[in-house]
Amino acid sequence: MTDLQIGIYSFPALLLLIFFRVPIGLAMFVVAFVGLSLLEGVSFPLLRLKNEVFSTFANYSLSIVPMFLLMGHFATLGGMSTALFRAAESFLGHRRGGVGMAAIGACAGFGAICGSSLATAATMGRVALPELKRYGYAGGFSTATLAAGGTLGILIPPSVVLVIYAILTEQNIAKLFLAAFIPGILAALGYVLAISLYVRLFPDSAGTRPPVPWRERFAALIDVWPVLLVFGLVVGGIYLGWFSPTEGAAVGAAGTGLIALVNGGLNRATLIESFIVTGRSTAMIFFIVLGAAFYNGFLALTKLPDEMVSFVVSQGFAPLTVLVVFLVFYLVFGCVMDSLSMILLTIPVFWPVIQALDFNLLSMEALQAHRAAEALAEGVEIAQPMLQSIQEALAQGVLLTKEQIDALGIRVSERLLDRINMEYTAIWFGILVLIVVEVGLITPPVGMNLFIINSMDRETPMLETYKAVGFFVASDILRVILLVAVPAITLFLLPM
Amino acid sequence: MKSMMLGLSRFMSVLGGLVLSFLILLTCTSIAGRLLNGFFHGDFMTAIAPGLSDWMLNLGVGPVTGDFELVEAGVAFAIFAFIPLCQMTAGHASVDIFVSFMPERLVGFLRMVTEVVFGLVLVVIAVQLCSGMLDKIDNRETSFLLAYPVWWAYALSLFGAVAAAIVGVYMGAVRVYEFFTHTTIIPEGTEAGH
Repeated sequence: MTDLQIGIYSFPALLLLIFFRVPIGLAMFVVAFVGLSLLEGVSFPLLRLKNEVFSTFANYSLSIVPMFLLMGHFATLGGMSTALFRAAESFLGHRRGGVGMAAIGACAGFGAICGSSLATAATMGRVALPELKRYGYAGGFSTATLAAGGTLGILIPPSVVLVIYAILTEQNIAKLFLAAFIPGILAALGYVLAISLYVRLFPDSAGTRPPVPWRERFAALIDVWPVLLVFGLVVGGIYLGWFSPTEGAAVGAAGTGLIALVNGGLNRATLIESFIVTGRSTAMIFFIVLGAAFYNGFLALTKLPDEMVSFVVSQGFAPLTVLVVFLVFYLVFGCVMDSLSMILLTIPVFWPVIQALDFNLLSMEALQAHRAAEALAEGVEIAQPMLQSIQEALAQGVLLTKEQIDALGIRVSERLLDRINMEYTAIWFGILVLIVVEVGLITPPVGMNLFIINSMDRETPMLETYKAVGFFVASDILRVILLVAVPAITLFLLPM
Repeated sequence: MKSMMLGLSRFMSVLGGLVLSFLILLTCTSIAGRLLNGFFHGDFMTAIAPGLSDWMLNLGVGPVTGDFELVEAGVAFAIFAFIPLCQMTAGHASVDIFVSFMPERLVGFLRMVTEVVFGLVLVVIAVQLCSGMLDKIDNRETSFLLAYPVWWAYALSLFGAVAAAIVGVYMGAVRVYEFFTHTTIIPEGTEAGH
């Protein structure tokens, strides 16, 4: 067998193990171990293990993960989930389907201080499910709403999955968080629309309740200030460069912990419970990270990712076709696999391919226009005829001449354009992948969020949840199509 | 035996959580120190209260030196310490859908093989980590800023890795016993953790 063949055969071997319910991290680890032994002899993987496990775990960027997990848990203990739901409900509750919309709004708010979908779904499920029942919302509709709302935990920054993606593709975490913001808001709006459509098609599925007086609404709104404070401090602080993402996570965990302590939610028993829940998720995530690191190290040795890049490029597929194939792949596999495993397993193979394709997200004309506008706003001294010719060129959207560029004193090389395009592609692809893997959390048959919420509601059969969740999945898919068609929605907040 | 292993796992989890909390507070202290340091060095404070500024700076108000080295070493220990409980409560991510169509006996067999291999892998990881640590003792490598010997961090992680290996082997043995005696000692899922 050639090295490349060993690499190729490792895929079916890996899938077989995973389908036999071998934990995904362990499956990758074992396949990599056997593969490396076949390539270089058994002493080779043993040698690598001497330092690789430690260095994978002792990673400053990755230490953000347990900190965000702990932060989400403290936020629940501090009563923030309840405060968010009360505020959203007092504003939206009296509308048709309003309590469901409020649950989505509260999930979005909680997503802003929690980096995990499962935690958001579990937390908001506990708070909102009894309320939905009380106002006569159908069982499957309620559970599907909360399962979908839970995905906002990851879609709205901060987000553990984005951190992992950023590390795998060596991108700036702060910029990815920023880019995720508008698609995250769109996701929440899409779910609200799905609810309003659902209650129009099935009027029996939701009851109504009287409106809340305005004074009470504002009183409820005031209670959510800790959420805004923590979100502003963590995401704002990271973006403004006050601190690194890991430091931001530490500030967030300490802040939510303090709020929980003040509100009386944090005592010895709940602290130990927080450690245990956080620890369990952390161990799970890092074992997958370890298996994936080991497996991808093995794949790189077989040269399989390189071969895949040259294959795709030599076939001359349209970049958009390749992108769509990848996204559909995630949607299909998301039905049975969890988001983090999929990202860790596929990004090292898919990202080099995407990187080698030209999506042309930013044209030279647009870059020149942007830099020229900046220079003009700063008040560059330019003689009148030259200024007029520049303004004409900008208005027509054509390339500037060398003299015009020199007069403006701006730097717009092909290299710079390539660099920005590469970063844009990485961020755009990352947000798209984030969304499609999160859809996997609510697609039957295996959607973790569906399981979590359904297990809280013993009266509702799983099938009812499956039926209702279709509306939310449809809204997700429409959003992905929109974001693929209009990259600017994701990218326009980013500095050029 | 079971309660002893569960006790060990929970103890390690709480220990990992305490270390994680310490790292969070350390990082916050470092940020506060850095921001205050900038504040006292800034034009405003040096103009208004130069004495206070100097005094605070001389007290050592500033970022914690090498905080990220401590975070790296500590978080590695915490992760190793979190593994035992994850092992005992079947907390690892896996794909359940296909085995739900298989006969129960076959599922039990697969579970046994998986847990035995998992235990073996955790033992190999611990042994190799130990060997890596011995290398670090030999070559006297030190960390960049704090200049502590790198093997200290390895030793800390090894403590967690050994606990993980012990629990991993125990779980392998449990699943073998369960398979051949048709019994259930440790149910799968989160119940065992509570």
